[in-house]
Amino acid sequence: MTSLVLALLLSAEPPTTQEVLAKYDAAMAPATFKGVAQMTAHRDDGTTRAYKMTFLKGSDDKSRVWFHEPAAVRGQEMLRNGENFWVYMPNLKRALRLASRDNFQGGDFNNADVLRANYARDYEGTVKEDPKKPDQWLVELKAKSADSAYDSIKLWVTKEPLGLPVHGEYFTSSGKMLRSADFTEMKDFGNGLKRPAKITMRNEIATQRFSEMVWDSVDITAPAGDGKFGLSDLGH
Amino acid sequence: MALRLLLVASVMNPLLSMALRNVLRNRRRTLITLAAVTIGVAAVGTIRGVLNGLQQSIVRGSIEGTLGAIQVHRTGYLANVLSTPLSLDFEADEALLGKVRSVKGVKAIAPRIQFAGSLTLSATEGNDAPEALFFGALAVDPLLEPKVCPQRSTFFTDGTVLDDTHVVLGDALAAAFGAKNGAEAILLAPDRDGSLNGELAFVGGAMRAIMPGEMKIAVVPLSLAQRLLRMDGRVTELAIAVDDLTQVVAIAEQLRVVLGPAYEVHTWEELAPERKTIMGIQNGVSAVVSGVFMMLMLLGVANTMLMSVLERTREVGTMMAVGLTRGSVLWLFLLEALVLGAMGAGGGFLLMSVITLGLASKGIHFTPPSATMAIEVIPFLTPGFTVVVLFIAMGGAVLFALYPAFRASRLRPVQALAGR
Repeated sequence: MTSLVLALLLSAEPPTTQEVLAKYDAAMAPATFKGVAQMTAHRDDGTTRAYKMTFLKGSDDKSRVWFHEPAAVRGQEMLRNGENFWVYMPNLKRALRLASRDNFQGGDFNNADVLRANYARDYEGTVKEDPKKPDQWLVELKAKSADSAYDSIKLWVTKEPLGLPVHGEYFTSSGKMLRSADFTEMKDFGNGLKRPAKITMRNEIATQRFSEMVWDSVDITAPAGDGKFGLSDLGH
Repeated sequence: MALRLLLVASVMNPLLSMALRNVLRNRRRTLITLAAVTIGVAAVGTIRGVLNGLQQSIVRGSIEGTLGAIQVHRTGYLANVLSTPLSLDFEADEALLGKVRSVKGVKAIAPRIQFAGSLTLSATEGNDAPEALFFGALAVDPLLEPKVCPQRSTFFTDGTVLDDTHVVLGDALAAAFGAKNGAEAILLAPDRDGSLNGELAFVGGAMRAIMPGEMKIAVVPLSLAQRLLRMDGRVTELAIAVDDLTQVVAIAEQLRVVLGPAYEVHTWEELAPERKTIMGIQNGVSAVVSGVFMMLMLLGVANTMLMSVLERTREVGTMMAVGLTRGSVLWLFLLEALVLGAMGAGGGFLLMSVITLGLASKGIHFTPPSATMAIEVIPFLTPGFTVVVLFIAMGGAVLFALYPAFRASRLRPVQALAGR
């Protein structure tokens, strides 16, 4: 009986794309938050490098990152404001523009993956069943603009609770898969935010390479005033 | 000169003397045939001469302009060159450089780093600074590089400065960047460990491109690159100049022995196989065109000889009637063809020499598609090729005269006297 109910529940009509993406964005890129994360980049030759950083996300596509480790990048900051990305180099005391598709610190995430605005605004697409994964929805997304980091994305998200990512595949306009991601280690970050804490981004071009991002904390109640997202604030 | 030699020889050999006089009998026809042979030989020689100049220009440009005669990398570097692996680097210390210098024939060594990065202006609040431009960079030591690649600076536009603080941008990059000489340029690149780093430099000038794909590049001072990439004292490449280019393979082999399996050594030909392929295609096409020229020219000779035999049936009959053997008749016509071939080849040699020297004195300048700088081509002829062409013209004339001469020698005197 229970399984019948479950089966009925699982075979229900898919939700709208906007519904799924709203849930996804609320979990993976809350409107504002402060967080601490560590990224480990695994390179072709087997060496790794770990980066420790603090994130601050403000409203309207504003994000800022402070790098703490390793020593080579200590004092560097990154800023996103709308479609513009900057890096602040402490040795030059200047902010320089970056491209959204550039690698984030030589890892396999790109700048837009990490300093992400939201999928609901940048992408449109369809939600459907994946017969191989009955407990997940397959969301097929297509970028609204050519400037987006990826041309199309396939995202598998949980049905219950709705919208938490399990696996992602990221494609170029030619249909070539650039990256694939796995979202694991479900964690309760407090204030009702429960989501995967670890993202493993695999490089599908140089397949020996992958990067892991592990979130230690995500505080959605932290203040994130607009003053923190000005170019002149970088380095202070 | 050739004519005088023939005359001298003709005194010694009555057949040759007859052949020479026979050739001069129908002057108009002889002149037309000679013109064909002369133009054919001259065309083949000139095509080859221009191609020689072009190929020398490509080779010189490769060796003295960009590659160096030999390059040394850590083993496995070239297989991964597209990802510009900085981790395959090495210390360019005295111990290593001493080993390279110990090989006989090594003239100069230039340490280098190839890396990918981006170039940007500093951004200020409100200004619309462009996004960083991605580019491929070659870091060179401004003092050592000219000893290995003296032609590199000929690609630079006038007034270009390359020193420890100035970078030279490929002209496509310079145009996209839009900064004037002396402007600040900031280089951003992931360092050897992948962490982002930035260094301030100044635009020293622009660099024209000769080969396709050389556009979005820059030449950067080595010391600046070593700070940017956090690779103090380390490089990814040694470019080597040699005393004698014909010994390059042997010197590379010797370097492999001295440096051991941790390093890979490549000659310029191995580094730029596409240039070798291009030259191979050029050689093939020119061989086909030359072959067609030669064939047409020799068919002309064959035609002339056949006409001559048909016209002189009675004469051959008479000669045979007074005792000339069939062998001598065969030889007579073959010698006539040889005289025609020799005179045509001589004329062709003179004409090709005049054209080639004329072109060489001014040089041919042309700009290949996708390049922004003209190549100067100085045509020249090699003795080996010239001798072969002249030999083919003469030998071919004899060969193509075999059938007419054989036909003449097979005539039956009685019928021939009757003109049948």
